[in-house]
This record gives sequence, C-alpha cells and structure tokens, in this order.
Amino acid sequence: MARERGKGTRVALLSWTALTFVFLFLPILVVVTYSFNGGRNLYVWTEFSPDWYGRALDNPRVVSALMVSLKAALINAAIAVALGVPAGMALARRKGAWTGPFLALLFVILGTPELVSAIGQMIWLDRIGLYDGLLRLAVGHSLFNIAVVALIVRARAEGLSDTLEEAAADLGARPWRTFLEITLPLMAPAVLAGVLLSFTFSFDDVIISLFVQRPGTSTLPIYILSSFKPGLKGDVAAIVVITLGLSLIGMLAAATLLLRGRGKALGGLLD
Amino acid sequence: MSRRRMPRWSPAAPALLWWGFFFVVPVAWIALYSLGQKPPPGGGAVTLDVLSGANYVAVTSELFLRVFWVTLRTAALGTLACVLVGFPVAYALARYVPERWRPGLLFLLVLPYWTSFLLRAFAWRIILAPEGALSDTLRALGLLSAPLSLLDSNAAVQLGIIYNYLPLTILPIFVALDRIDPALGRAAMDLGAGPVRTFLAVTLPLAAPGIAGGVLLTFILAAGDYVVPAILGGAKGLMVGNLVATQILASQNLPAGAAMAVVLIGLLGLAVLGAQAAVLLTRGALRLARGPAL
Repeated sequence: MARERGKGTRVALLSWTALTFVFLFLPILVVVTYSFNGGRNLYVWTEFSPDWYGRALDNPRVVSALMVSLKAALINAAIAVALGVPAGMALARRKGAWTGPFLALLFVILGTPELVSAIGQMIWLDRIGLYDGLLRLAVGHSLFNIAVVALIVRARAEGLSDTLEEAAADLGARPWRTFLEITLPLMAPAVLAGVLLSFTFSFDDVIISLFVQRPGTSTLPIYILSSFKPGLKGDVAAIVVITLGLSLIGMLAAATLLLRGRGKALGGLLD
Repeated sequence: MSRRRMPRWSPAAPALLWWGFFFVVPVAWIALYSLGQKPPPGGGAVTLDVLSGANYVAVTSELFLRVFWVTLRTAALGTLACVLVGFPVAYALARYVPERWRPGLLFLLVLPYWTSFLLRAFAWRIILAPEGALSDTLRALGLLSAPLSLLDSNAAVQLGIIYNYLPLTILPIFVALDRIDPALGRAAMDLGAGPVRTFLAVTLPLAAPGIAGGVLLTFILAAGDYVVPAILGGAKGLMVGNLVATQILASQNLPAGAAMAVVLIGLLGLAVLGAQAAVLLTRGALRLARGPAL
C-alpha cells in the first residue's frame, strides 16, 4: 500500500514539475516564434518571415541604443571585477570581525528594491555633477554587480585550500609571484563568470537605466520600453529576441565556466 | 613587506567605499529629499531650504492609499501562489529527480530569471492579446464569448508577478529541502510516523527558514516591481512603483516620489521584521508541539 501511494506521489510531483517548467519556458518560446511573424499586427500570426530583424537593425535609434548598452555594460563589468574580486577574496581568506557587517551591507544591496536604489542614484549623481550618460549607467549598474562578483569569488576561494600558495611560498616564490602564478589562475573561472554575469545584468537592466539616463544615452531596454506606447510591431519582438540571444550566450558561458572550474578544482585538490 | 601590516579587511575597502559613496549616501538623500519642495514649474532644482512633512500628507491621498493597498495585495497573493506552485517543484527537485539531472534542471530554472525582465513581461502581452492565438482558441472552444480582456488590468499584473518570481521562490526552498538529511525522515517512519506526519513534523519545520527566505525575497521584489505593471497593467493595473516613477519622471515632483519611496521602504522593512518574528514564533511553537508528537 505504502509503495503504491509513494508511486502516486512521485508521478504527481514530477508531472507538476514538468508543467511548471513548461509554464516558465512557454512565454519565451512565444516571443521567439512571434518575432518571425511577417504580419503588420504582432499579435495576429500571418506568415513566417525574418523581415523584422532586418528592419530593427536598420533603425539607427536601435543601433545607437545597442552601442550604449554594450559600452555601459563593459565599463560596469570592469568596475564590478576591479572592486568585487578583492572583496570576495578577502571574504574567504581574511575573515574577521569585519566579515559579518560587510556581508550584511552586501545583502542589503542585493535585497533593496531596484527602484529605491535608482531614485537615490538619480538624486546623488545630479548633486555631485556626474552628467556623463555612460558613466552614470555604469556606476548605477555596478553597485549590484560588485556584490554578485564578490559572492561568486568568495564561494570559489572558500572551495580552494591555500596549500598550493603555501607550497609556492615554501619553494621561495615572492607573494606577488604566488598571486600571479597560483592564485589568479585558480580564481580565473570565478572572475570570468563574474564578468559575464555583471555584463548580462547590466545589459538587461531597466529601472536604474530609466532613472539615471541622460538625453542621448538610452539603453536598448529603455528603447524597448518606450516603444510600448506607440503600439507594438514585430521589430520590438525582434530586438527583444536579439537581447535574449546575447544574454543567453553570456549566461551559458558563465555557467559552463563555473561548473567546469568547480570540477577541476575539487578533482585536482582532493585527489 | 607592508602587506603584513595592512588590516585584514583592506582588500574589501575599495568596494566598501564605492558602496558607501554611491549607495548608502544616495539612499540617505532620498529621506532628505522627501522633506524638500518641488521646483517651480519653470524647472530648476529641488529646494531644501525649508524642510517639511507636507509630502507625506500628499502620500495619504485616496489614490495613493488605494494603489498601495493593491500593491500589497498583489505582492502577497503573488507570493502565496509562488509558494503553493513552487513548493512541490522544489520538493520534487530535492527528493524525486535523479541526482545527475539536478544541476541541469536548476540551471534551466534560473535561466528565465536571468533573461530580460522586459522579455518576460512582453511575452505575456502576446499571449494575452485580445486578438491573439489564446483568445481565438478559447473562443473556438466555446470557453469565452468575447475576446480575452485580461491585458491592462490587475489580473494580468498578478499573473506576470507570479511568472516573474516563481524561480526565485523555488530556489531557496530547494536549498533548504536539499540540506535535510534523508535519514531523519526514515527515522521518523521507523518510529511509526506515517508519510504525512513525517512531512508535517520533520520536513516542514526543517524547511521553514528556506520557505521564509523565499517568501520574503519574493514579496519585497514583487512589491517594488515597476516593469511588470508598466507593461501589463496599463492605467488600471498601477502599482506603487509606477506611481513613484510617474511622480519623479513625468510630474517632475521628486520630493513627492521620494516620500512615497520612503513609505514603501518603511513598510517593506516592517514586513521583514514581521516575517522574522513569525519564523521565530513558529519555530518555538513547533518545538513545543513536536516534543511529545513523536
């Protein structure tokens, strides 16, 4: 009896899980499909056609927004790595009384509604006179991403023991040489994953961009948001799918790096 | 050589300074601006010469209170739905899915979450469109007599919120369930507890912190959401986020928007404290109840 009931539960739970995954992915599939809808009305399927992709990429406003998004995401990723990597290393290797409060601030930053952070940025960046559109976007996006990079690097550094570094020091390597030749290569997968994630988050960001942007430096998501008002055509779906493609490449690369890096590190150090 | 003498936290100092300058200080300015006065119609800056609570009086307007109530209700119902839908999924992932599939499925789970917010809200506009495929299908089946009219309403926002935050609820619950030693469940069964009782007396209390974490995260982010109501809600599906954004971006009334944001943060802070108290109380009560139960 018990086994029968267990089997029923199993089937029910697994079916529910499968349904939930369908629910999560169906909308994404719908957008991708409808971006190839040749008709004038996005919602009414008429015929398959990749025309909207060509038209979207012919639109100079789309191309300039795309460039703004890419540049801001790059500067943001550079800031996030430059500040997040040392912080993450220190969180794992130089623990002390400071770690608790620092982590508390980090989680407050991750948990604050983006809208609140965005209003603060808007007020403050105006007050300190930072009017460069790209820098405003990059600084605004970097706050969240520093926290993300620090957490990834911390997780990776905690998984590694410092025996290799100690061995290098015992063999006479100077601290900087140990750092360059041992620590950095070991941390590389986490750093690269951090770059890709912070790039992706910045590239997709809407709320902070909406508040800190200056005339002339609209990002792609802001362009998409603004084109909702005049009515939707296939070109918006095409742009959305292009951003999806770019984000997916970043995400998949980051995931591959993290998974592969973990396997190697554990395999290499535990054997 | 000098490396030895530096404090242990020195590598984290640049990040700390950056956050202090670009996060802590700006968020504090919101509170100050909420007491200021909006610039004259011609433009200019917010004046902080005379500080007053007048903006908070405006916040108690009928429209704001109604939208605030709708926001809290939408976020709370959305969170509840996320837990009801998500808990079985997290449970299945932790207990029933073969271990080698797990990393892949977890990755698939967070994948939609890490793609664009806009994309996910946008998709529902296509699906729910009155002249769209779903509407036509439902009418052909005779389930609907008029075109589907969910878009630009609170119902569409509710759906979008559930869709958006479901992965975020599932993950912490999965982590909590995954950490529970399966031996505990077997021990309870060996001691004569049925599956239902084992679930209620062992699994659920141990998973409680994870559930609370998921609930809190979902509720906070849903209550502060701007994108979903902006795209799916129209004029009838407004949430506080849209009201704040309209005050600041369209009406140029930064002080009023700041006051609304302060009220929002205050209420969310209260929710966090309330949830923590609830977890502590529940845990205490369960500990009392569990002792003699098994």
